[in-house]
Amino acid sequence: MRIGAISGWKNVEFLQHFGPVFTLTSMAILCGGTVGGLLLGATPGLSPTMAVALLIPFTFHMTPIHGLMLLGAAYTATVAGGAISAILLKIPGAPANIATALDGNAMAKRGEGAKALQICFISSFIGGVIGIFVLIFLTPVLAQFALGFGPSHMFWIAILGVTIIGSLDSKSVVKGLLAGAVGLWIAMIGYDSIQGVERFIFSEHLEGGVHIIAALIGLFAIPQVIEMLEGGRIRHDVEVVKVQPHSIFKAVSETISKFRAATIGSLIGVVVGLIPGAGGQIAGLVAYDQARRFSPNKERFGTGESEGVIAAETANNAMVGPSLVPLLTLSVPGSPTAAVLLGGLLIHGIFPGPNLFEQHGDVAWAFINSLLIGQFLMLIFGLYIAGWAAHVVRIPPPILASGILVLGIFGAYSVQSSYADVVVMMVLGLGMYFLSKFGFSPAPLVLGVILGPIAESNYVQGRIIAEAGDGLLAYFCTGGLNLFLIALVLASVAYSVLTEIRMRRFESNQGAIA
Amino acid sequence: MSEQPEVAGRFQQSLPAAALLALGLWVGYTSFNTEDPQPYLFPQLISVALVLLSGMALFRAFKGTNRTGAGVPLDQLGRIAPAIGLMLVCVFVMLPELGFYSGSALGFFILFSLYDPASHKSPAVWLKRLVITAGFMTLIYVVFALGLQVQTPRGLFI
Repeated sequence: MRIGAISGWKNVEFLQHFGPVFTLTSMAILCGGTVGGLLLGATPGLSPTMAVALLIPFTFHMTPIHGLMLLGAAYTATVAGGAISAILLKIPGAPANIATALDGNAMAKRGEGAKALQICFISSFIGGVIGIFVLIFLTPVLAQFALGFGPSHMFWIAILGVTIIGSLDSKSVVKGLLAGAVGLWIAMIGYDSIQGVERFIFSEHLEGGVHIIAALIGLFAIPQVIEMLEGGRIRHDVEVVKVQPHSIFKAVSETISKFRAATIGSLIGVVVGLIPGAGGQIAGLVAYDQARRFSPNKERFGTGESEGVIAAETANNAMVGPSLVPLLTLSVPGSPTAAVLLGGLLIHGIFPGPNLFEQHGDVAWAFINSLLIGQFLMLIFGLYIAGWAAHVVRIPPPILASGILVLGIFGAYSVQSSYADVVVMMVLGLGMYFLSKFGFSPAPLVLGVILGPIAESNYVQGRIIAEAGDGLLAYFCTGGLNLFLIALVLASVAYSVLTEIRMRRFESNQGAIA
Repeated sequence: MSEQPEVAGRFQQSLPAAALLALGLWVGYTSFNTEDPQPYLFPQLISVALVLLSGMALFRAFKGTNRTGAGVPLDQLGRIAPAIGLMLVCVFVMLPELGFYSGSALGFFILFSLYDPASHKSPAVWLKRLVITAGFMTLIYVVFALGLQVQTPRGLFI
């Protein structure tokens, strides 16, 4: 394959698809998604994954381009919005903002809240734009490469998606993989797509199978509703640091002067984003740590050093674009939120994978371009509403929990106008709450539900080819690409097992010292 | 509030593992005991994975080497039980009997009131709760019924 033949790289094809982004409707959707995402991100307890999951039903009634624009804008803005509560309250809005809270809140406490917020959004913008350009130029390259994939390769890619998220997103490899297997089974409930045979229908509510949206809302939203109420009737006293006015130009100048932290953050964010399952939390913390290592002011980190905020925020936003590269080209999401976005693509009949840019190039490019424009909107809205958004966090958990519950009920119902979807959402949600209390993560389970049909159809097709050829083992387990993918599956599991063993040794050493 | 243990005990850890093992065995039994195996080829693979992984999780729970998951302490279970009970009543009784808007409004109001730390004796507080519920449900009606044109089952009032 000649690299020069790759359309996105050579012809900068993305430039031809800005038209649908600059229509009045698209801009209104992008603005709404950005403002909503910033507010949702600023609210502790509302993760970006849950926010995007709750938004998917709304997109069902839109065109695919508009629906995806809304989800993309909300995804990027919730990651950035999480920094607002991290800085003003020291409560990260999302795990990706943990590192931001370390120096951002210290700056706010000494009266530099506005400066910290401005630096945060400028850094988020820098990281976000770099990440989107990586997405723009890398996606067609990988898609072109993946065009030669057959059923056996696609089967292993689906399994790889489940094992990677199962291994990396969970603290226990066994529980992560087990959650993925449960998700794959849930995807099998209903009528078999080839012969129409009933499978595992043990309740009338399951006759239509488990719809992705009901599963997404149930698995991500319902456990959070219950977690918000775990404290019982406790008073929700939140002390918000007051924000003093600060010149935006000074914040821009300070961010540019500390380009080393921004460069470290962007590079680490891009690399972490490309690794499926790693996520923004790892990107932010690793970038913060490396920026401290290379900084002449390393002793000031943790006491309100702006370099800490710059590194963390460029990193967690730079990972957003690259995390979509494996999603759009291979159907393997790079993060739990990307897994939810995959659900959003599927309900619009868009199957990500090697053929995406051939079959739905206009939608895919318009979506990617909207992410780029979304970064500018995130910067503009972020700079002007950040201080005001802090008041959102004052919404008491009982109101928030009741609101999410009702929104979940209507969201699950609205997609197919089916009461069974509401029942499925609730049962899955309650089950996930109890499983999460025992260390099971919802992300691999959701991915199993989403990738189950893809894995099954390719497995069945592969079996037909194998039976006419050299047999099952030879078809699925030989050939360079098959072996490479199997090695990746095994490596993802082995890496997590080793990490778990290392963590266990570290904990027992800590115990011995104590 | 009592302090949560970092990791749940062996008994609690073995409960989800045993439940998932039972699920895996049932999926395996159903998938391998069928006249036409074609639709069950992939579920057969899944059942093997389920049984193996849940067996490992159960073994680790018995050995006490499961290091993740704090479990659900009894006092915490007591605090969330009303919420879970209400959610189930809301979905299985209120929505079908009262309709989506009335059922959800009642669910919202009861859940909010149950966990609201403000006094239950003050009429002003109850009025505030009613206003918040009405405001939120109006928003939901505008978005879903008028905006997205979703037809929900009708019941009491609307």
